[in-house]
Amino acid sequence: MIEIGIGYVPLVDAAVVIAAAERGFAERRGVAIRLEREASWATLRDKLVLGHVDAAHLLAPLAIATSIGLGPGPALPLTAPFTLSLNGNALTLSVALWEAMGRPDGSLDRVKAAFRRVGLARAAGGQPLILATVFPYSMHTYLLRRFIAGSGLDPDRDVRITVVPPSYSADALAAGSIDGFCVGAPWNSVAVAAGAGRIAAFGLDLIPDAPEKVLAWPRGRMPDRAALSLVAALREAAEWCAAPGNRPDLAALLAQPRHLALPAPMILRTLEGRLALGPGEEDRRDPAYLRIGRDIGRPEPDQAERVLSEMTKAGHLAATQATLAAAREVFDPSTFDCI
Amino acid sequence: MSWHGVCPPTDAINRFRGMSERNLTIAVVDLKPARAAVVEEGLRAAGIQRVVVIPDTADLLRRLSEVDPDVVVMDLESPSRDLLEQMFHVSRLVERPVAMFVDQSDASMMQAAVDAGISAYVVDGLKSERVKSVIDVAILRFNAFARLQRELKEAKDELAARKTIERAKHLIMKAKAIDEQEAYAMLRRKAMNEQRKIVDIAQAIVISHELLG
Repeated sequence: MIEIGIGYVPLVDAAVVIAAAERGFAERRGVAIRLEREASWATLRDKLVLGHVDAAHLLAPLAIATSIGLGPGPALPLTAPFTLSLNGNALTLSVALWEAMGRPDGSLDRVKAAFRRVGLARAAGGQPLILATVFPYSMHTYLLRRFIAGSGLDPDRDVRITVVPPSYSADALAAGSIDGFCVGAPWNSVAVAAGAGRIAAFGLDLIPDAPEKVLAWPRGRMPDRAALSLVAALREAAEWCAAPGNRPDLAALLAQPRHLALPAPMILRTLEGRLALGPGEEDRRDPAYLRIGRDIGRPEPDQAERVLSEMTKAGHLAATQATLAAAREVFDPSTFDCI
Repeated sequence: MSWHGVCPPTDAINRFRGMSERNLTIAVVDLKPARAAVVEEGLRAAGIQRVVVIPDTADLLRRLSEVDPDVVVMDLESPSRDLLEQMFHVSRLVERPVAMFVDQSDASMMQAAVDAGISAYVVDGLKSERVKSVIDVAILRFNAFARLQRELKEAKDELAARKTIERAKHLIMKAKAIDEQEAYAMLRRKAMNEQRKIVDIAQAIVISHELLG
């Protein structure tokens, strides 16, 4: 048995890693996965960089940011040989803001127009809207900025963007310390269930098939055999996770106190792409809400380019030939293609 | 039990120079009052006057801005560490050094963190009499590392700016069929009129070209 320590943040899109470890997929490939749950992306990143864990469930933009040296430490090139998920995020606004916007049902354009109206009024009154993401280098940040910019407001001037950990997001919304947030599954549903928020858009409305979580490790640190066995196990686990018949079992697994510690029925709905948009409102169904599965597992260098372009627009880095090459190298499909 | 401490804003680096630690404001962020109490006691015993305990909740950012501390001490396992990442590394105004108070079991990892410049100090267990020295070393290491990073960043920015201006110049030369000197003069004039930096104007030209060209 090859022992591999994998760090993860308790979210629905860690499903493939958790299933690989606890539903026998890793074991059948001769790999014993030691799962380590982390509360923050910053700490998980540090533990990966320092070799405290061998691999990590990581935000795709964070894998690129770490590889090109954004963040507190020196650059460490990572490789992300398996894509764990696409999409999965949503934009949730506080019920108070949603009311002030006049409950703009229907199209995203109407939501944006109403958001712009309230956002401008708030900025003019010296109380700009405060919107939260989960981490600076995350698709959540870029989705949020797309929404704001798409509504005709300036993400850097007309609103304030802050970070709130997912587990605090519903409380922050209820307390009025933020007006909205972009977060992954199942935290939008938690805010809706708490009566604190209204889902205004799915992530896929803003950026379709956005690369979300990857499995990553420092390039060259994982021996070839371990890498191949692990990626093979992840592919099989991903296929199992994606099969509709396995979802109730997967939801129950993720719901356990040692993982997400949240209600299984809520997790199941996010796996099925069936989310209540607001308290007492009808479900919105979209099977692509959160994409997990074997067919999305292959890392595509072009996806790295898409992420990099969002990072550039947000002013997180300057797009140069060097950063582009470094980012493309993170999404390296060579291990995946060997299987 | 593990602790994670984070320290002073960039503008506060200067505040630290020639300043007695007695004037520092230290925020202790934690959910568990018993743990916060150990740190608070250690800091007070070291003569630090202003120690504010802030609960680790959704309201943390607002409270931190109110208190405007020179040093923040928080639980390594707190999800709020990601909020500090935003404060320190994206909006660079409030960049701070990092100190970690950790268990013996995590000590080797944290020593490696120190070497990598990610954090500042390691202590075996949380004892009130060690708290002060942790803060001191955190500040020292931060200042050294921040200076290094700043120099590196300045060098990189300078290079990137030169490249962007070069590109914008060539785009103008091509579009207007003028020579290099005229193109540069145009850039400079536009920057002066708009009261912006030449590199900002150059950046705008390069981006518009990417979008429209």
